[in-house]
Amino acid sequence: METEVIDLSELMTEETIDLEMDATTKEEVISQLVDLLVQKGMVESKAQFIQDVYEREQGGATGIGNGIAIPHGKSDSVRQTAIAIGRTKTAVAWETLDDEPISTFILFAVSDKDKNNLHLKLLAKIAGSLANDYVCDTVKHANSPKKVIETLQEGSQ
Amino acid sequence: MKIIGVAACTAGVAHTYLAKEKLLNAAKEAGHQVKIETQGTIGTEDELTNQEIIEADAVIIAADISISGRDRFKEKKVIQIPTHIAMKSPKALMKKIEDELNATT
Repeated sequence: METEVIDLSELMTEETIDLEMDATTKEEVISQLVDLLVQKGMVESKAQFIQDVYEREQGGATGIGNGIAIPHGKSDSVRQTAIAIGRTKTAVAWETLDDEPISTFILFAVSDKDKNNLHLKLLAKIAGSLANDYVCDTVKHANSPKKVIETLQEGSQ
Repeated sequence: MKIIGVAACTAGVAHTYLAKEKLLNAAKEAGHQVKIETQGTIGTEDELTNQEIIEADAVIIAADISISGRDRFKEKKVIQIPTHIAMKSPKALMKKIEDELNATT
């Protein structure tokens, strides 16, 4: 059995989570989430990474239903694979699998340079944990970034 | 019932793994044995063995790209869907598979 303890701190911190975003459009959501990663030095070129995120958006809906979207981009403008999470005060128009309005966003920034496979494995586990309704609901309603991290951490075990 | 499958998406980062978990949850809930291989950026994980393929009653390919090793399933009953179907309605998918298998036996 695997007994490896999953530690998400290399991918996300409380500083890359903003539960009170004032964004009202898809463009603003993506821009503000990317800013969080730029400020932490995870993303080098904001413009280039945003372009990569939009390229993926064109490939199909990143709204996973249940009021959550997981935009993502793989790019060499990402210094280290990381996650930014945001919640908007009002729902934002976004392509999704159901008709639920979306106000919770989990942005995956995947580095082409980061050869640390562990980061990608963690990302995969977090994506998988979103198949769990409890994890989704808690991330949607948690009242602190700390609680969001704890929930994803538990959900990924 | 024994259900196996493969999940793969365009970026190989997120949808692959979400689709996998949704399929696992729905299949287990319906009382089936299940294993889903993922083909993503980190490579292939939970790779299906020959034995598992031989024993499987049905194969679900939840993919937005062409998967590698598709010919492994040429003798099997294969259900091919995009990942978003696996994510959106995994339970309905299980039901459909059950109905189809019951109809052929």
